[in-house]
Amino acid sequence: MKVWKPDLGLQARMLLTIFLLGVVYLIFLAVLVYFRADLLTTLVFIGGFMLLQYFYSDKVVLMSMGAKVVSESEAPELHEIVSRLCSIAGLPKPRIAVVKSNVPNAFATGRNQKSSVVAVTTGILQQLNKSELEAVLAHELTHVKNRDAMVLTIASFISTLAFFFVRNFLLFGGGRRGRDSGSSLIIVWLVSVVVYGVSYLLILALSRYREFAADRGSAIITGQPSNLASALRKISGIMTRIPSEDLRKVEGVNAFFIIPAVAKASIFNLLSTHPPLEARIAALERIEKELAA
Amino acid sequence: MGFLDSILGRTELPKAKTEKLFAISTAAVTLESSLGLKPDGAAAICFKPIESSKYDRARRDIEDLLKISTKESGVLYRLQKDEYGYLWAVLQDPDFEDLVATIHMISQTLIEQGFGTQLLCAVYRFRGEKTVYWIYSFKQGAYYPFVPSGDKQRDNALEFRLKAIMEKEMPVEKDVGMWYPLWGMPI
Repeated sequence: MKVWKPDLGLQARMLLTIFLLGVVYLIFLAVLVYFRADLLTTLVFIGGFMLLQYFYSDKVVLMSMGAKVVSESEAPELHEIVSRLCSIAGLPKPRIAVVKSNVPNAFATGRNQKSSVVAVTTGILQQLNKSELEAVLAHELTHVKNRDAMVLTIASFISTLAFFFVRNFLLFGGGRRGRDSGSSLIIVWLVSVVVYGVSYLLILALSRYREFAADRGSAIITGQPSNLASALRKISGIMTRIPSEDLRKVEGVNAFFIIPAVAKASIFNLLSTHPPLEARIAALERIEKELAA
Repeated sequence: MGFLDSILGRTELPKAKTEKLFAISTAAVTLESSLGLKPDGAAAICFKPIESSKYDRARRDIEDLLKISTKESGVLYRLQKDEYGYLWAVLQDPDFEDLVATIHMISQTLIEQGFGTQLLCAVYRFRGEKTVYWIYSFKQGAYYPFVPSGDKQRDNALEFRLKAIMEKEMPVEKDVGMWYPLWGMPI
């Protein structure tokens, strides 16, 4: 007997996004090769940059957030909740960090399951009760389990390359032998602009799907979807009243937050790393109904 | 947790492993002879409740089963939620075999009803110079020692000794990082 049915729709959407991203990237690389762009140097350069990001992003994120890793004696309750969830989910226990900030939020970082850190703000510790906090931690642990930091870093690799061409089109991308270098330069630049724009939207879509997946994972690990729903309601209700100077600091790491800290008033969900609150709560309610049936 | 599960963001909880649960029965002999640790007549099993009507039914089934089986074996039991919302079935019986059998029965019932993934652990209490707990992790399918000493401190030295001596007798979790403590458990 199975308690949890897989969300095939979500998996299909995620796979389609990854596929489209792959197609866009392949076309882009083909164009670059065709115009004999100086691909190798650029790839090495960007590759090195991405490797640095891959290995140091967790430390950078923790430092820029002012997150302090806490030991078991400093935060026994947090440790107990996380270690039990890890037991249930079959994960190695990550380090736990606390950020001194009134913005109620949580994030996970790290390149693999062993080196990951799950961080919460003091604000979220104050606002949520124990079971809501557990649900939020389970959401972050699902990010760790799904290796979301790695997936999104890899997914944005060639997008970063395109962005690089857009910014530095005079330095790179010139056709060198036989072709009209002026016009091919412009074509490569235009293609880069399009690739960057399209891949950016696709990466955002992927990021939103992974939020849904993490919400679902939280529901499965805790067995209680309603706790995450109530935590999300609580946090987002408070988010809008937070002064902006605190928020600016946290913009860079938005993709890994449970709720984006910078309240974008954009009506276009396309431009957001996180799905709208109503959609997330609706998805959790669907899981709840599945359980009750 | 496979590669594809990661890419697709699927969450599948590891299944409960119960094969090694009975290893504690035979190990109890060695625990007494070489370490002076006697079963303390108490054991417990801990699992995470689910918001589901199916789960409510499973819980009722377990209570019915407990009522019937404990009448025969004379095991005393109580069900209790801890401060983290996990449910414990706490058992008491001087006969160690009865404790092991009842723990096995509860885990089997939960697995049959589809809630094996929600099983956290089983705990057996032993007494010697210090109170020692052997915790069975259903996810790892192995035991590990837990010796609380004072305020949220563990006697790591004794725990390592227990591991070294008992490794041949029973499956002991090799990764010390998985030896999660359980503070304030109701046993």
